[in-house]
Amino acid sequence: MGNADMQNIITVRDCWMSFAGKEPGAEIHVLEQVNLDVVQGEFVCIVGPSGCGKSTLLNIIGGFLEETRGEIYVENAVVNGPDPGRIFVFQENGVFPWLTVEQNIGFGLLSRPETERAERVKHYIAMVGLNGFEKSYPRELSGGMRQRVEIARALAADARVLYMDEPFGALDFLTRLKMRSDLIRIWQAEKKTILFVTHDIEEAVQLADRVLVMTKRPATIQEEVKIDLPRPRDLDSSGYLAARDRIFEIMGMDAHGGGG
Amino acid sequence: MNRRVLHIVLPLVTGALLLTSWHVAVKLSGSDIFPTPQQVLAGLGELAQQGLLLKYIVASLFRVSWGFIAAVLVGVPLGLILGWFRPAYAALNPFIQILRPISPIAWIPVAILWFGVKDTAPVFLIFLASVFPITVSSMAAVQNMQQVYLRAAQNFGLGGLELFRRVIFPAALPQIITGIRIALGVAWLVVVAAEMIAVNSGLGYLIIDARNAGKRYDLVVAGMVMIGLIGLVLDVLVRRLEKFDEVRWGYGQR
Amino acid sequence: MKLIRTLAIVLTLWLLGITAMHGGLNLHWFAKTTGDGTGEKTFGVGFLPVTCHLTCPVTHFINKEMEHHDMFQPMRFNGWPELKEMFIGRSKDMPAAFILAPMAIALREQGVKIKIVHLGHRDGSAVMVHKDSGIFQTTDLRGKTIAVPGRYANQRIIIYRELKKAGMTLDDVKLLEMPPPDMPAALLSHSVDAITSGEPFMGQAELDGYGRVLWQAKDVWPGFISCVLAVHEDAIRDHRDEIQRLVNGIASSGKWIDESMSHRMDAAQFVATNYYNQNPRLLSFVLSKPPDRVTYSRLKPLQPEFEEIERLAKEVGMLQGTAHFEDYADDTFAPDPAKVQAPHFEVKK
Ligand SMILES: Nc1ncnc2c1ncn2[C@@H]1O[C@H](COP(=O)(O)OP(=O)(O)O)[C@@H](O)[C@H]1O
Ligand SMILES: [Mg+2]
Repeated sequence: MGNADMQNIITVRDCWMSFAGKEPGAEIHVLEQVNLDVVQGEFVCIVGPSGCGKSTLLNIIGGFLEETRGEIYVENAVVNGPDPGRIFVFQENGVFPWLTVEQNIGFGLLSRPETERAERVKHYIAMVGLNGFEKSYPRELSGGMRQRVEIARALAADARVLYMDEPFGALDFLTRLKMRSDLIRIWQAEKKTILFVTHDIEEAVQLADRVLVMTKRPATIQEEVKIDLPRPRDLDSSGYLAARDRIFEIMGMDAHGGGG
Repeated sequence: MNRRVLHIVLPLVTGALLLTSWHVAVKLSGSDIFPTPQQVLAGLGELAQQGLLLKYIVASLFRVSWGFIAAVLVGVPLGLILGWFRPAYAALNPFIQILRPISPIAWIPVAILWFGVKDTAPVFLIFLASVFPITVSSMAAVQNMQQVYLRAAQNFGLGGLELFRRVIFPAALPQIITGIRIALGVAWLVVVAAEMIAVNSGLGYLIIDARNAGKRYDLVVAGMVMIGLIGLVLDVLVRRLEKFDEVRWGYGQR
Repeated sequence: MKLIRTLAIVLTLWLLGITAMHGGLNLHWFAKTTGDGTGEKTFGVGFLPVTCHLTCPVTHFINKEMEHHDMFQPMRFNGWPELKEMFIGRSKDMPAAFILAPMAIALREQGVKIKIVHLGHRDGSAVMVHKDSGIFQTTDLRGKTIAVPGRYANQRIIIYRELKKAGMTLDDVKLLEMPPPDMPAALLSHSVDAITSGEPFMGQAELDGYGRVLWQAKDVWPGFISCVLAVHEDAIRDHRDEIQRLVNGIASSGKWIDESMSHRMDAAQFVATNYYNQNPRLLSFVLSKPPDRVTYSRLKPLQPEFEEIERLAKEVGMLQGTAHFEDYADDTFAPDPAKVQAPHFEVKK
């Protein structure tokens, strides 16, 4: 797994997770014996059916939930709550609606000197293409623009790792495509490590270096698919289609609509 | 029709209809105790001429302002604390819920015993009437806050007072303002009861005093009309707060 | 945040502004202080805007006109409960008050250390019925609803006394408690069959033409007592001189009111405008039609009269009968009515 000479950023060993059920004593087993590794600068996608536990896993890695059992290391340390160096991007959009675009993007920089903050904010506003919207409030932006603000906020804070939980799930198809290519562009420029959760197989194949496929609940990682295709990716290339169909197959479906 | 015109014309039409039916009803009943709209207007004119109208409005606004602003300064922080710290909620919420339904009228003896018959007593009553709705709505605002804001803030390493100031408070603010708006209505509502204590000015006092003055029900109704009109103005003013950028997101499309 | 900053500034300015306006318009902060008598601490005397308490404002007014200072601070209330609460709860601010005689006795029974030092008036109460009603004598009240001012109102006693004379009891009528200011409207709308309280509320129903006097207190119970001047024992101990002056003032201004019809009309005028905020016509009516409808002479508390009140109140169930004249009254302040002199005072026209 991974290159031996590359540094492991995220290591999950034998992670189990269950929630208390509605009836007393009942338990919902969500994760079972999950193992995964992500190395420095890698873009890894996790796919799996809805409700299998993808968000749960990401939240455990992000430090928002505590696993029932297992060992989680991020950047060579046991995870012990969220960390400003590793920022979560939420599907529901965690941009603060009471702050302007530039105030939001500068939110993680409050301890920095004024000029440095202004510079970084300016830089990342340009990077996510929001020039001219500095003083706008989130309610005046489209859904895609709001997700850009959230990504820029994480980047501006100099996060080394981004955890993204279906960040484009609420966007329309075309915006989603645009956001994907922009995200790849940014990732290449910034060399961040990205762990990206989605239930959209096409999205995973378009974005990732590696796709981890989860089973139904109680979920574990069933298989790993390496996507060794050059970027920007050609969605009609045979390599792309093969990878996509392989994942559909693992998940027990065929790519053309039949159930499995 | 233009929407703006609609919002001016329709209320005027309704108002005219209400005034007419009021007038007709008084005439038909043959009562010479209940005043007609003209008599009320004349009563208002008389009060204005004596300079009493301004005095009474100022007195009531003075008491409501102090009582209400004190309630905001106590209720909002208290509500934020109760909404955030579970032990504080567990310790205090039952008592807030017990005290909340008690009408300010029931507090009148206590107000007199503690504060005598100076302005402090009605200010205290208005404070009591508004502090509970403000506390409860601030508390609910924190409890119903979208978790994603909290998690984003924690992710950026915010905690303690900074978390309160930069995230919890602004996230709760739209709902707090709604609570404040409702509470201001309540505060203004109890001004009559609060001025039953022996103060000698105010719109509530006007009503009680007019009842003592023999057949001056025109002044009673004049007091009611003024309370209603000022209540409307206050509501319009508070609604302006909802237009500020920091909170507008909280009110959906209007 | 802009919102909070704006709000803080606007509200601070508003509070300052409204406070200054209230101070100027209602509290007279900025008025030039008049030389005489200011700074002198005067004590509060509670009263209601009713004819039973007329001697309170008249004494204050005459003293102010003649001596140019406040002998005491008249404190006007709008209802019995608030007056009573202030009187028993904050005796330092208001050591004296005009209250109903049975209420004073009942408070004493309940352990409130007060004493009746003087009467406020005599007579001045009536039972009114609607002019169209078929009630012409006491027996016609059988089964009817009568509005009375409250639990400790003498009107309960006088009704009981009259019913007894007619061979009836309180069970033969329905008594309904109601604040006196609401009574005329209740009578007009036939919500009740009869109303009874102190003046001027009975006079109002008569003046407006829909009320008819069933009987006046003076006719069925000559010398009827309803309101008295009560004082805290602490004040009697610590402020004997002030109380003596107050009692003398009440006694002599009562004499002054009863001295001539023109005094009565003057009193109606200045009390209605300066103290009661009522139409002077109403007070003039009550003070003149007939002239002895309410009287202000012979105001020394007399033991036999109070013993009758005590006895009747006990029969009605208003009092326990545990407090006696020597407990709840101190008649040493009241001057001999025969020797009371009216002040030489005429209203400047
Ligand atoms: N706090 C919780 N308490 C109980 N059950 C939960 C909780 N969070 C998630 N679950 C359950 O765990 C399962 C996985 O949820 P989730 O991780 O959100 O799935 P997804 O793969 O769609 O992101 C679901 O069945 C969900 O109902
Ligand atoms: Mg999910």
